[in-house]
Amino acid sequence: MIVVYDGSFEGFLSLVYEVYYKKIKPTSILRETPKRLVLEELHESFYDEGNSLKVFTALKEKFSKQNFETILNTFMCDSIEFEMPLLEYIILGFKNQSELQNINNGSVFSVLGFTKQLFSNVHKMTGFLRFVELEDGSLYAKLESRFNLVYFLGRHFSKRFNNQTYYIHDINRSLVFVHSPEFKGVREISAFELPTVSENEKKFEKLWKTFFESVAIESRKNDKLQKNVVPLIYRTYMNEFMN
Amino acid sequence: MKKDVYTKMQILSDSAKYDVSCSSSGSESNYKTGELGATHNSGICHTFTADGRCVSLLKVLLTNFCLYDCAYCINRVSNDIPRAAFSPRELADITINFYKRNYIEGLFLSSGIIESENHTTELMLRTLRILRHEHKFNGYIHVKLIPGADSELIKEVTKLASRVSSNIELPSNKSLALLAPNKTKEKVLQPLKVARDITLERDNKPISMSTQLIVGASPESDFEILRLSSALYDKALLKRVYYSAYIPVNDAKNLPAIITAPPLLREHRLYQADWLLRFYGFSYDELLTQDRDHLDEELDPKTFWALSNMHLFPIEINKASKEELIRIPGIGVRSAFKIIKARRFKRLKLEDLIGLKISIKRAQYFILCDGVFQKSVPLYPESIREVLIKPVKMQTPKQPTLFDVSAITGEL
Repeated sequence: MIVVYDGSFEGFLSLVYEVYYKKIKPTSILRETPKRLVLEELHESFYDEGNSLKVFTALKEKFSKQNFETILNTFMCDSIEFEMPLLEYIILGFKNQSELQNINNGSVFSVLGFTKQLFSNVHKMTGFLRFVELEDGSLYAKLESRFNLVYFLGRHFSKRFNNQTYYIHDINRSLVFVHSPEFKGVREISAFELPTVSENEKKFEKLWKTFFESVAIESRKNDKLQKNVVPLIYRTYMNEFMN
Repeated sequence: MKKDVYTKMQILSDSAKYDVSCSSSGSESNYKTGELGATHNSGICHTFTADGRCVSLLKVLLTNFCLYDCAYCINRVSNDIPRAAFSPRELADITINFYKRNYIEGLFLSSGIIESENHTTELMLRTLRILRHEHKFNGYIHVKLIPGADSELIKEVTKLASRVSSNIELPSNKSLALLAPNKTKEKVLQPLKVARDITLERDNKPISMSTQLIVGASPESDFEILRLSSALYDKALLKRVYYSAYIPVNDAKNLPAIITAPPLLREHRLYQADWLLRFYGFSYDELLTQDRDHLDEELDPKTFWALSNMHLFPIEINKASKEELIRIPGIGVRSAFKIIKARRFKRLKLEDLIGLKISIKRAQYFILCDGVFQKSVPLYPESIREVLIKPVKMQTPKQPTLFDVSAITGEL
């Protein structure tokens, strides 16, 4: 049976409820109704606040803190089709928590792999994210990424930019992590105007580019290696790679 | 003529680039509420240069004026190159502005010797004070100590830095005398000894230290180099030894000719061996001996060691301890942990390793999986060496199909 849900975390929990109490047996889980003709039976799972909450409470009770976080983290990997392995992970966990350590199980291995990918992405972006200084001295960074990273990045920078006001703007998901004296956390935004940068900005961008070009050693030049370690996809907002 | 800040940056980062060390790892997170900067335990790379090296720190010289005349060094006094200097305040300001834009983890501060060793160290100290006290900067600062400066100054620097280093550069006194007439091994090690003594006094918070050895400028063997590294790790409390393939920048009669390509493969093998010393429980004399004093170029040091110690293999992966597992070629620390985690639930077979995404390319010839040994290659060092050096390429014969256009047109 193909199951369609709305793609939200709460929607997924309602789906889990249906698996237990309406005995639906998904063979694949989609976020949108397929446009093509499907021969298999199609079931649409609707978000139900009560059911969702019941599953949420059960998860918090039954699952260890770490395993529960693994489930939440998996949801941040929104460009991966994680639903089937995650469903099996949850079913397995309700039966027996210690089985969730068994990496021989394909679903467990996949789900743990998602978390690993997520954090490797977070780690890369902690280095590759670039801030510009705005007129008022606050810092602003644009972010485009495969996964939903703003929360993790926001937390990372709250240590090092503790006395700064900064914004990390996820362009595609329309999310901003705000760190200011008034508010710290993730916000959704609808409209957005490009802020004015400080007059210092040009100088330091140019200095950085000068530095970047002059530290490379000509006799060791290796473009392929450079592409491996900074894939093009990360370079969009890294000014040393802009012309 | 006064140079503008871009020219200075160009000259002073160009002069510092042959220093390999640029890591920011291995320090505890240390942020303070209401201040700027924090270090990150695993280190962070902020970009990678065209030669593929990680850029983590703003690596510059305070100045490239230098009194010394070391044959291998681009900044030696007898070279006619453009010279420049940052003022401590100027450099601190750039560091802070780079840091706020997330270009860097911090500063790597080194310098040529201007006026005297003490004067140079004082200038560096001033930069550190501006960063740490005025800007309340808690990010990473690496300082190259100046050999020959007073112990008191070195102590002050050490207190403010996250990591300090002094480059030994040449692995023996003989080579130093030949190529760096103003330095001796004792002089180069002096600042590290001062820093080590502070560590021993305050035994709770060790100061992180590193050094660098140039490979290929002088005749020392890999055995001598690894023996030195190993002694430095054990006795001098160093955290890292860096190896730098010698890149000819000067023409001098005591050096390899200027056209020589840098020995990058040798550098790579030395790093692999160094890793084995630090994280895999190997000692230098297991990897090399007086008679076999160079690392194998075709095989990595661990595989080479295994082939010389075949009596220890094959190892049963379902029983071996972690220490034994990580000695298997191709099995790293992560794979070893996966094996240990997975075998609590079942006896592992070769397919299980593949399922766990553990690379068996090399490991398969050295292991038993639940009593089973792979059948394709006999357990002789020569046979295994042969398949590892020349991996068999599987050729799938192409069969033209009815719909294959090339069958009709004759195109390839």
